Amino acid sequence: MGLLIQTLVNGILIGGIFITIAVGFTLAFGVMDIVDFAVGEWVMLGAFTAFWVNYFLHVDPLYMIPVVMVVYGLIGYFFQPVIQKVINIKHRSAALIALAFTFGLSIFLRGSALTLWGFNNRNLISWISDKNVDVFGITLPALRVSATVFAIIITIVFMLFLNKTKTGIMIRAAAENKVVAGLMGIDGHRIARLVYAIYVGLTSVAGIFLGAIFSVHPDMGVRYTAFAFFIVVAGGLGSFSGAIAAGLLLGLIDSFVSVYLGGAYIFLILFLVLFLVLLFFPKGILGKGW
Amino acid sequence: MKNTFYKTIYVLLIIFLLTLILSGCGGNGVKEETRNYFKVGVITSLSGPEVYGGNITKRGYEVWANEVNKKGGIKIGDKKYEVKLVFADDQSDPTAGADAVERMITSEKVDFILGPYTSGVTMAIAPILEKYKIPMITGSAESPLIWQQKFKYTFGIIPAADITGSSPITTLAKDVQPLPKTIAIIGINDPFSKSVAEAFKKSAEQEGIKVLKYDIVPSGTDFTPLISAIKELKPDILAVGGHDKDHMEIIKASKTLGFLPKAFVMHYGITSPEFTKNMGKDGDFTIGATVWTPALNLKDELFGSTKNYVEFMQKEYGVTPDYTEAGCAVTGEVFAAALAKINATPPLSEEERDKLVTALEQIELKDTLFGPIKFATEGNWYHDNTGLKPLTVQIIDGKQVIVGPKNLREQAPVYPQPDFDKR
Repeated sequence: MGLLIQTLVNGILIGGIFITIAVGFTLAFGVMDIVDFAVGEWVMLGAFTAFWVNYFLHVDPLYMIPVVMVVYGLIGYFFQPVIQKVINIKHRSAALIALAFTFGLSIFLRGSALTLWGFNNRNLISWISDKNVDVFGITLPALRVSATVFAIIITIVFMLFLNKTKTGIMIRAAAENKVVAGLMGIDGHRIARLVYAIYVGLTSVAGIFLGAIFSVHPDMGVRYTAFAFFIVVAGGLGSFSGAIAAGLLLGLIDSFVSVYLGGAYIFLILFLVLFLVLLFFPKGILGKGW
Repeated sequence: MKNTFYKTIYVLLIIFLLTLILSGCGGNGVKEETRNYFKVGVITSLSGPEVYGGNITKRGYEVWANEVNKKGGIKIGDKKYEVKLVFADDQSDPTAGADAVERMITSEKVDFILGPYTSGVTMAIAPILEKYKIPMITGSAESPLIWQQKFKYTFGIIPAADITGSSPITTLAKDVQPLPKTIAIIGINDPFSKSVAEAFKKSAEQEGIKVLKYDIVPSGTDFTPLISAIKELKPDILAVGGHDKDHMEIIKASKTLGFLPKAFVMHYGITSPEFTKNMGKDGDFTIGATVWTPALNLKDELFGSTKNYVEFMQKEYGVTPDYTEAGCAVTGEVFAAALAKINATPPLSEEERDKLVTALEQIELKDTLFGPIKFATEGNWYHDNTGLKPLTVQIIDGKQVIVGPKNLREQAPVYPQPDFDKR
């Protein structure tokens, strides 16, 4: 019984981190209509930024969260028009070109990191890295708990922002129907820049947590790109609540399969679930996607 | 009539020119170019998940090439021939490796190859080397599956994982008190790591240690759920077949979950400089396997001795090499000795490359910085260097200390390992 609860908690905790990535990723997809292949590289860059600041200035990675979020948010804000330009190319396969562009971007960022920072695996340590909380015999790693708490706070703030503020409503409108939103006077380009900034900021912060929990290296982002796709497809394309549910589902599958079936079956089960979701719930597990 | 005559002449001329060009490009094995240096191919993981190990092998090969060139090159008869390395990136992927090596062979026309970091890539490219008849020695790959396939052109410097992997388990089963009774084993799903996990399992069963869990997991797995499950089983030993990143993440996950077995046994990567640098005190007391340590003092023709080599690496690169890097540094020396034996000058013809293989099979180097080198010519370790004794090492104060076998050890293993917060 103890193991069952431990497994469940582990699943929720890792799912929490996936949610941080999924929230921004889904929103960016909804507004810009493209999937960003470079999602994993934003994770990697966030982790490396925290690592280097920690290495040279000895600032704890967790204290870097607001700085990384703002800096990468600004990078996203100023970079978005470049992607937008590719999306707007007058070509019948513009979306495909944009997809190839983000794929190229991902390779470029990964290659640059490899050239600049070398091939070493790095260990990012926070003051809570080796702490854990014992609740009724269940050991909760403090770092994962913090990541999940962060994900919950971000999700709530995001929900409130999207539902209660004027800009949030504009974002939702643009995500739902760009043409009509445009006719209502919503500046689609400004919204897209804002959303991309939020997405890049959030994803790089997730990188700090993932880097501290696992390790930091130029290739670390690749698996999160795959996970982000799982979350967005299983959650339903463009569905915010679906992405949260899929993030949790991913964490739980990862945890339960590792413990009860064996680690070798994780990807098999993961893609089997994805296949079944696409077959029976093409609009995502909550039925709220496109 | 005149026109037809000229047309015929033109066509014949074009055919003649084409034949000349094609004979220059293709015809593998023919001495198609003249050069006074050896062109040596290096294929290893310069990107992808195994980029760290890939670069360790690359550095090992480069150190040899630089050193040999500093001394004028490889001595064949009375003349010396410099070496020029040509690199190919296998992207840590067997398929990409097979493409890259074929491109390297056909476009660069290398004389011989210094082989990949991973066993997976080695197995993928070995059949291509058979096709083009290019000899290769890998200074890193350790999976026994490579040698079981009996490739004619592929050789290996490091003894197979089933020879080395059993050593730490045997040491723990005999030389510590209280004797361990149970073990949990994790292997990463690649040919090398799986072989290591299998070797751990086999030797644990032979020594009467009960295997409580045996799990082969994909690379990049989140180990926390797995460690939670293992923690419940309370094994005396947690043994892991994987690479340095996996070991780092497993120790980190164990620490955060409050799990400390009496011993962590991990192979490969704990002897790499990066492991101790990253893990600090948390990496101490981890037990692993090796066939070489920087503390050995052996004679070497190129560097003078192991000590000189280690000091050179510390001075030039700021690292203390581990056995993979040392294995790669010695790989070129083996080729050089075999080339000198057959008096082959660059570029090598197909016939000379075949002679080189025969020379490698016959070669017996007693003094190298890595220890004696002799390749097996029959049995399950065909073309692998089986002349070295496997050692059990433990990381103590960030350094590798030989703790087994008993007759070679520097000190007894520290077992059970102390708590993380008491180090």
